[in-house]
Amino acid sequence: MSLLKIVNLHKRFGDLYVLRGVNMEVEKGEVVVIIGPSGGGKSTLLKCINMLEPPTEGKIILDGIDLTAKGVDLNKIRQRIGIVFQQFNLFSHLTALENITLPLRIVKKIPKEEAEKIAIKYLKKVGLEEEFASYYPHQLSGGQQQRVAIARALAMNPELMLFDEVTSALDPERVKEVLNVMEELAREGMTMIVVTHEMGFAREVGDRVIFMDGGVIVEEGKPEEIFTSPKHPRTRQFLSMIL
Amino acid sequence: MAGIGQFDFNLFIKILPDLARGAIVTLKFSSLSIIFGLIIGTIFGVCRIVKNLILPKIATAYVELIRGTPLLVQIMIVYYGLPAAGINLPPEVAGVLALSINSGAYIAEIIRAGIQSVPKGQMDAARSLGMTYFQAMRYVVLPQAFRNILPALGNEFIALIKDSSLLSVIAIAELTRTGMQIYAVTFNAWTPLLGVAMFYLMMTLPLSKLVDHFQRRIGGHESP
Repeated sequence: MSLLKIVNLHKRFGDLYVLRGVNMEVEKGEVVVIIGPSGGGKSTLLKCINMLEPPTEGKIILDGIDLTAKGVDLNKIRQRIGIVFQQFNLFSHLTALENITLPLRIVKKIPKEEAEKIAIKYLKKVGLEEEFASYYPHQLSGGQQQRVAIARALAMNPELMLFDEVTSALDPERVKEVLNVMEELAREGMTMIVVTHEMGFAREVGDRVIFMDGGVIVEEGKPEEIFTSPKHPRTRQFLSMIL
Repeated sequence: MAGIGQFDFNLFIKILPDLARGAIVTLKFSSLSIIFGLIIGTIFGVCRIVKNLILPKIATAYVELIRGTPLLVQIMIVYYGLPAAGINLPPEVAGVLALSINSGAYIAEIIRAGIQSVPKGQMDAARSLGMTYFQAMRYVVLPQAFRNILPALGNEFIALIKDSSLLSVIAIAELTRTGMQIYAVTFNAWTPLLGVAMFYLMMTLPLSKLVDHFQRRIGGHESP
């Protein structure tokens, strides 16, 4: 059974149709990369997966549990799904360390000292030395902030990680340090859904590439299939514009 | 005895302790009221923005009602009006109650603006980590909102110190009433009233400085 199954997902904001029937499955340990033009529904799809945006129609099934069903404890479910945002969204009034320990303490009820140990462990994992623990977000570079955000999500010990254009707001020279962390994570077997414009990453790290446009999945396949011999004209057009 | 329009320095020195006592009463009433106002304001400020059919309407009605009527009338309703409904309050309680309800409405608006000044991504991030709406508000959104609205809250406190002079109408011996009483006894208006004004400034000026400091800190993106 797949870890995540999305069935006929629709999302509408008023008159604006953002998702028009998305179906996909993600196996445990798989790295799925979603590419496509802006406004194609990629980010909304990620926000639907952890129910930050409740779907208008359709089902999100995580590990056999339908998240769209009534009575599901979404706060419990969201602990199993980590998400990293384009704008980092670190808590700006807290230090790097506190950003990681806050959810551990109040959501997982882990005592302060233990939470701090976990936080330091994950800061190291994303390549940040202990000295950065006491820094506030605005004292960190974009790449460092994004790595703290990844550490914060990982510290919750999720089964699925969602990455929403996490390098799009970074200076070009900071992109690599974040991608390296994600690549490492993929190698360790984390199940990941990555929305990105980094085609090099999609090609090298992705197990499968999905091309989304107009709120639907236009084409999907192995990275080399998509990048070397895309079948759909829309995919071809998009790739010719960016490659 | 000096004439009504003359400043009498000897009298001024003599009444300083009385005025100081009045100023302390003013500070007590303003401080208590800002604390209760903050509690009321936070509750109603959050109510104004929650996704609910009734709560925002109740909160909006409260804010409009209070902001649309004079504080003096509100004080008199609480002190003279409530007894008609069988609720007798000592002037001190009525005073704090009226000021708290009044400042609560203004603070509710400040809090609402403060919450809306926190980027939506902060709530998204908090919820995505498994926090409940309440936890996200309590630990993530409100602390940042409060930091952003400290200058506005400081200004509200300054306004409250000045507005508390209206409590003189219900016989609370705060600063203004103390000055009026001295005038009634000495028939000298300048001396006590200048003294009263001076004491108000002594309370409000340092607060203004503090507000400026907070404002600069927010502008400068310093750590809290």
